Amino acid sequence: MATLAVTLLLVSLLVFLVVRVLPGDPALIIVGIEGSPEAAERIRESLGLNRPLIVQYGDWVGRALRGDLGKSIQYDVPVAGLIASRLPVTLPLTLMAAGFMALAAIPVGLFAATHQRRWGDYVAMALSQVGVAVPAFWAGLLLILLFAVKLGWFKSGGFDGWGQGALPALKSLLLPAVALGLFQFAVLARTTRSAVLEVLREEYVKTARAKGLAERAVLFRHALRNAMIPILTVAGIQLGQLMAGSIVLESVFYLPGLGRLAIGAISARDLPVVQGVVLFVACVIVTINVAVDLLYGVLDPRIRYE
Amino acid sequence: MTMGKLARLTLAITLALALGATGAMAQTAPTALVVQVSTEPPGLDLTTSPASAIAGVVFDNVQEGLIKIDRTGKMIPWLAERWYTTDSKNYTFFLRKGVRFHNGREMRAADVKFALDRAMNPETKHPYRTQYDAIQDVIVKDDYTITVSLKKLDATFLYTLARQGSVIYPREAVDTLKTQPLGTGPFTVSEWVRGDRIVLVKNKDYWGKGLPKLDKVTYRFIADPNAALAALKAGDVDVSAFGIGPESVDELKKDARFQVIVGDTTNDVTLSMNNSKKPFTDKRVRLAVTHAINKDEVLKGAMFGYGKILGSNVDPLNPYFVDVSKRVPYDPAKAKKLLAEAGYPNGFDVTFRVAPQYLYTVRSAEIITSQFAKVGIRAKIEQIEWPTWLSQVFCLAPCQNPDYEMSIIGHAEAWDIANFANPKYYFRWDNADFQKLFAESQITVDDAKRRDLYVRMQHMLADEAPAVWLYMHPRLMVAKKGVTGLWKDLPLPVLDLSEVSWQK
Repeated sequence: MATLAVTLLLVSLLVFLVVRVLPGDPALIIVGIEGSPEAAERIRESLGLNRPLIVQYGDWVGRALRGDLGKSIQYDVPVAGLIASRLPVTLPLTLMAAGFMALAAIPVGLFAATHQRRWGDYVAMALSQVGVAVPAFWAGLLLILLFAVKLGWFKSGGFDGWGQGALPALKSLLLPAVALGLFQFAVLARTTRSAVLEVLREEYVKTARAKGLAERAVLFRHALRNAMIPILTVAGIQLGQLMAGSIVLESVFYLPGLGRLAIGAISARDLPVVQGVVLFVACVIVTINVAVDLLYGVLDPRIRYE
Repeated sequence: MTMGKLARLTLAITLALALGATGAMAQTAPTALVVQVSTEPPGLDLTTSPASAIAGVVFDNVQEGLIKIDRTGKMIPWLAERWYTTDSKNYTFFLRKGVRFHNGREMRAADVKFALDRAMNPETKHPYRTQYDAIQDVIVKDDYTITVSLKKLDATFLYTLARQGSVIYPREAVDTLKTQPLGTGPFTVSEWVRGDRIVLVKNKDYWGKGLPKLDKVTYRFIADPNAALAALKAGDVDVSAFGIGPESVDELKKDARFQVIVGDTTNDVTLSMNNSKKPFTDKRVRLAVTHAINKDEVLKGAMFGYGKILGSNVDPLNPYFVDVSKRVPYDPAKAKKLLAEAGYPNGFDVTFRVAPQYLYTVRSAEIITSQFAKVGIRAKIEQIEWPTWLSQVFCLAPCQNPDYEMSIIGHAEAWDIANFANPKYYFRWDNADFQKLFAESQITVDDAKRRDLYVRMQHMLADEAPAVWLYMHPRLMVAKKGVTGLWKDLPLPVLDLSEVSWQK
């Protein structure tokens, strides 16, 4: 818990400083190309930007601890509310991508491992090689061209909210989720393959086979379960990366998610929003890491935390 | 869970989603329009921010002024039915009767006074406050009559009243202008989903007969040009207002589903030189730079030929426009000669600082860099983020001295020749003769005399070359066939949708 708190404190300090080192002054962006210096100064004052840095930081952290992330400069609404309003897009998008990644990668990896150096293995690995090589935004554009422009099965982007019903909402997230999960699928498939291959060479697998267990039982009960630790480690890291990757896909599919909120905030130098989003994502990733650590214990009862 | 169960579950989800696909295709009603715009407005208050993204949504659609600039650039009576002045110092306006704000209250002269007083007040963060400097007093005569008296002659006074900063709003709604702007316009703001869309709906009590023609307008914010193009082709948006690059125009023109509207704008794409820095303090160097640029080639390469070549800082939509683009023509030999005269026989090194957010600036800089090489100017391109550009190149306070040698950007304001009369502007051009000419034009209300001053200013700018005016950025708008009533030219940055409809 202590390391957790220290991590988050460091992240908060880092993001606070980084957004202030960036050239570009939020007040200038608000007054824009036709504005006057006096107007900029007035805005700076009203935003509290001419106070000493340490005061600004202390003020921000103090409020953040009480759940108040400040007010957005460009929208004039609370940052926490903005983040909350974007979660119904980014969260399901990330989870769907993770689901796609896991549901596809583990079977493919398992298949490749059990068909090592045979055609099936080569095809599976070639596919995952493509997955690693194709940038997510390009995969997204290709999916749009095929499924939205050519076939007309899906919309080219946008998200009209969950109010329109669960199916249409899930549908508008499907293409971006596939594009988002593609890279991570490829990585996870490769990880699964090598982890399973490693385990299959173990003595206890030989034993299991020798005592006449069905191959299916050998694979799932002995090999996969033991291979799950490295797979889970990678998948946990990937979940964080999926969240980061959503920044790109949300732009391509113009989804009103957390990623686009961050991008827009950076180019508008909407500092409270940038800080809030980064801090929030850091919290999520720290939580995922803790969850992964706890899952180790479930998978392997020998692992215990004091 | 076994493999078999996993596979069945995946299949079931896929099928369910595919089935949902056919049922959920959006049916666009013939009275609704979806418009793609690249930038989400930073708030909706025209009286605190000059951002053109705000004007694109609010101006003329939600809020209106006493005078309107129509699609041809002409000033026409709007919320003011008529006006008169005998001395060009005291203007009396007669308001249209029975015009109601979106909250149901009738617009009165007191609202006009409130809006103008607030614009003049230094305490308000009005982005164009200096435009109201000439106003002495705003006097309400009765509910429908108001007189504005000026301290001094101001040739741009009526024009100021027609601009986005002079919209009239109900005084009781002044605190919610940023999120829920009320006005007299043909549409009201119904919904703003931050980061995604703004929905306008028809104002049923609009004073203009038969307007607006649409019931609902949805603005979709799609910044990526490829995504905008895909959305257009997939039928998810009906109109792309500013999002399509010139590289896609020819392809879209051939597509029978679309119409491409190519028009004029007031956006002068300008190569700026820092006149306070060597070697650009020397007029011969600035002229050499101008002679070294083949603008036709730049327009072809950067804009695929769309747009118009410029020679000065007045755009073709301006009534006083004269074509001075041939005054300092492409002539590399002359450029070399001038450079040698100025003491740079071997040319010099220079860096372009441009923001790739405006891709045409990078494309133009690339072509100009290769043209420069032919006369010995060795140019480098440094791409910077837009906020960095604003704070370092454009240099508003606390920046003291602009940090750049050369840059390129489109100056979209109409009547922005004033920038060259301001020695503190990022061009840092300080010329007393020009400043005198401009000051005179501001107090000259006689049209013929004012025109003469504008012609002289355009000639002077071309001859002094404080910057290079490359081309007018074209309006490139794409719409589905059947959408009518869109403006072809843009005499000011608006997106007036009041007369837009679907043809039967």
